[in-house]
Amino acid sequence: MTMAINKKLLSLLLLVSSLSSIASASFSDPDSDSDLTNELASLRSNSESGVIHLDDHGISKFLISSPTPRPYSILLFFDATQLHSKTELRLQELRREFGLVSATFLANNNGSDLNKLFFCEIEFSRSQSSFQRFGVNALPHIRLVTGSTAKLSDESGQMDQSDFARLAESMAEFVEQRTKLTVGPIQRPPFLSKAQISVIVAMIVIATPFVIKRILRGETLLHDHRLWLSGAIFIYFFSVAGTMHNIIRKMPMFLQDRNDPNKLVFFYQGSGMQLGAEGFAVGFLYTVVGLLLAFVTNVLVRVRNLNVQRLVMLVALVVSSWAVKQVVYLDNWKTGYGIHPYWPSSWQ
Amino acid sequence: MAAKKASPDLVNSSFSFKSLKLKTKQQELLLRVSILGLVYVLAFIARLFSVLRYESMIHEFDPYFNYRTTLFLTEKGFYEFWNWFDSESWYPLGRIIGGTLYPGLMVTAALIYWTLRFLRFFVHIREVCVLTAPFFASNTTLVAYFFGKEIWDTGAGLVAAALIAICPGYISRSVAGSYDNEAVAIFALLLTFYLFVKAVKTGSLSWALGSAFGYFYMVSAWGGYVFIINLVPLYVLVLLITGRYSMRLYVAYNCMYILGMLLAMQIRFVGFQHVQSGEHMAAMGVFLLMQVFYFLDWVKHQLNDTKLFQTFLRITVTSAILVGGIALGVGTASGYISPWTGRFYSLLDPTYAKDHIPIIASVSEHQPTAWSSFMFDYHILLFLFPAGLYFCFKRLSDATIFIVMYGLTSLYFAGVMVRLILVATPAVCLISAIAVSATVKNLTSLLRTKQKVPQTGSTKGVGSSKSSSKVTLDQSQPFHKNGAIALLVGVFYLLSRYAIHCTWVTSEAYSSPSIVLAARGAHGNRIIFDDYREAYYWLRQNTPTDAKVMSWWDYGYQITAMGNRTVIVDNNTWNNTHIATVGRAMSSYEDEAYDIMRSLDVNYVLVVFGGVTGYSSDDINKFLWMVRIGGGVYPVIKEPDYLVNGEFRVDKGASPKMLNCLMYKLCYYRFGELVTEYGKPTGYDRARGVEIGNKDIKLEHLEEAYTTSNWIVRIYRVKPPTNRL
Repeated sequence: MTMAINKKLLSLLLLVSSLSSIASASFSDPDSDSDLTNELASLRSNSESGVIHLDDHGISKFLISSPTPRPYSILLFFDATQLHSKTELRLQELRREFGLVSATFLANNNGSDLNKLFFCEIEFSRSQSSFQRFGVNALPHIRLVTGSTAKLSDESGQMDQSDFARLAESMAEFVEQRTKLTVGPIQRPPFLSKAQISVIVAMIVIATPFVIKRILRGETLLHDHRLWLSGAIFIYFFSVAGTMHNIIRKMPMFLQDRNDPNKLVFFYQGSGMQLGAEGFAVGFLYTVVGLLLAFVTNVLVRVRNLNVQRLVMLVALVVSSWAVKQVVYLDNWKTGYGIHPYWPSSWQ
Repeated sequence: MAAKKASPDLVNSSFSFKSLKLKTKQQELLLRVSILGLVYVLAFIARLFSVLRYESMIHEFDPYFNYRTTLFLTEKGFYEFWNWFDSESWYPLGRIIGGTLYPGLMVTAALIYWTLRFLRFFVHIREVCVLTAPFFASNTTLVAYFFGKEIWDTGAGLVAAALIAICPGYISRSVAGSYDNEAVAIFALLLTFYLFVKAVKTGSLSWALGSAFGYFYMVSAWGGYVFIINLVPLYVLVLLITGRYSMRLYVAYNCMYILGMLLAMQIRFVGFQHVQSGEHMAAMGVFLLMQVFYFLDWVKHQLNDTKLFQTFLRITVTSAILVGGIALGVGTASGYISPWTGRFYSLLDPTYAKDHIPIIASVSEHQPTAWSSFMFDYHILLFLFPAGLYFCFKRLSDATIFIVMYGLTSLYFAGVMVRLILVATPAVCLISAIAVSATVKNLTSLLRTKQKVPQTGSTKGVGSSKSSSKVTLDQSQPFHKNGAIALLVGVFYLLSRYAIHCTWVTSEAYSSPSIVLAARGAHGNRIIFDDYREAYYWLRQNTPTDAKVMSWWDYGYQITAMGNRTVIVDNNTWNNTHIATVGRAMSSYEDEAYDIMRSLDVNYVLVVFGGVTGYSSDDINKFLWMVRIGGGVYPVIKEPDYLVNGEFRVDKGASPKMLNCLMYKLCYYRFGELVTEYGKPTGYDRARGVEIGNKDIKLEHLEEAYTTSNWIVRIYRVKPPTNRL
């Protein structure tokens, strides 16, 4: 009996206390700051990687109705499920990176700093009025609402495009710069988990003898010339197209013209830099000419039909001379050099 | 008399007409030798543009160190050189020169110098140094000829020699005056590869021995030897996988690896790294794998039962791989095998350097390559390369596999770093030469059979079996002659464009010593800026001999070699902290910088400034790297402090920290009084095209000591501390 009563009492007490906390929060008396912080902290501990999911109610509670020198800042990620299908916005990727920054922040901080910054997200379909209140009408959008920010439509806390260009690392830099808190080096989960790695290693070890057996018999794909040849041509194409440059510098395929946003810029003037599409186009021209040469001298001569031979030859000649002209022209344009022969001075 | 003399000649010639076969062979030999001789000379004189346009001098930065050490070597002898502790650089640390350089280049130049002296040619060591690179480039053409002959035929060899003689990718590092390690290293690299391919082809110990010595020369000359010690095992591995294992390969690789390793360990800078560092482990692994293959072959020979052999095979291979893996793991974990160095790692994962090692990422020749650089350095070779690949695959042999692998790996690395275009150049030339030679040969043989000259068939020699079979196919087709002529004209047109391109590029782009700058004036005349040497000679003549000069590390070698003064840091970037200290001083406020300079006993500070002349690679443009490198060690330096909205500015909108840091003050001191361009306000920076933001600069602890005539180099004296009150 006593046990049951005790239980009931306990739950009643809990109910009262939680009710009172909600009441105190909504009335926003000065002592409620720490309560709000505590509540955010408890919400955080229940959400995945520490990103709190807020709705209109939460926004009004933690940001609007609370008095302005708030003891905490909120980094808010604006999400919209209906736009996830638009890959060029990269919403899901950015959201993942956002989660990483949050998790790293949690892992690297403890004590008082931990409750100075909270990572939150709101979703468009469920909190449209908040989007309006923030004045957000384009995504992706990440906004830092510092403790002193009074008006939500104040856009000074907005994270620039450049700040999430390098994903989590640059987001963390933005946060560190604005809040003077430390996030620390981003801890990405390993590409393969330990279990996966061990399974893969085991499979490789098991498969090795069989592979070697086949190798000794000489009947693998590796003995196919064509495969090696196409691989070789691919590596060649990959290198001369400057793909490594694009990867290292993270160059976009093309740029938008600054003066005319509808126009796209595919070719960048100035040596030592290139855009993605530009490299591939030129690499393609290189490869075509080389392969045509090989084709004409090695395959075409075996064709019996004279007219076909003539036609293909003509096409090959025209195409390669056009390609060479294009590349030379582009190179001169890009580097700004005017390459010319030197004639004997008496000829001039 | 004359008639009498002429007659035996007549007889001779009519006699030789009869024995035509011998005569054509001799003719061919004569042609070949004279072409090679011409190419040899061409390779040398094409590299003399820099001497003609400027003067006989050492170029760039690193060559000044090499020159200084060579001078030391010829004056003091090898023993002193080997044990040299240099107290004039990296003050106050100093540097052990003998143990931290590749001595191949210096020893080579000294040997040439001593030989010339012995033959009573009294030349200055500087001339020898200036001309070492062209001389070795000429030798490289010879190696390219033999290599081409080995992998295809003599025609390809000749074309390869001609192509490599003027290829801009190679010329960029081997003009007269660029006295750098690469000058001899490319020769050594190609020689090693050639000898190794020859060894694999013949299975002869002497060729393998030769390649081991070639490798030794390469190790002594350049750090790029790591490429050889990884490419060769990779090649052997591919041969093993594709079932091309043979006794020849076994002999060639084992001899080359073991001897080469023992020899390489004699170079102090390499030493035990060769058996301990991760970069060399692939070679050792393949060496062990070779033994397993040999052992299996032997067991197979002993066991007649195939089933028994299969099970045996499975057990051995699995256990061998397991043991190898465990050994590698234990070695790495216990620290016996050192992990890969940053430079090597950044080749495999190219984004690594950018994020982790600013000192590597900051160097302009370590930038990734855009397509225009490939075009600039290879021109039509790029078009010919895929065709050459195709031909190689058509006629697959051990040698062509090697050249294909060399070409592809080096081309990939060239895409990662601009400077590695140099390593890829010989391979690209060779493969393109195969394309040219095979195409031209096919086409001309088509033309010749139409003329129905029966003798021509015999001149073809070896490689004609394929083309002659084609000829018989096409004999009844009159079009082909026209087509062949059109194609030939096309090929020769391309080749002539190549020659024009190379000549222009060599003369205009790659012959600049970069210590003397040239620009075109308003009337098309050449203006020479000789400010660097002006400044260094000023240092040499006007400062105390024990003065310490602080500058960014780029100029360290030049200051010690030409100014003969002690520097804090130089281009041998062995101590990152020391460089970061200088970077920190440059990016701090003057009073903070003064404390750092006092602690390093700095007497003079030297900065390079292009605001007056529009010279863009000056210290202000390099400044962000100083901040990054300084900030990498001293977190008080933060890059965002010097940026405004992520932008680097020097005008009024620049960040306050930027406007008051030491580098800014030293560069722009008194610049605000100067009108640089007509119609622009005072203090207009021509390199960045803006009016500077801080025109009223006062120096407290430093005073201007010397500014060169075009303001490119500015030297400041560090004042002694004021009296204590």
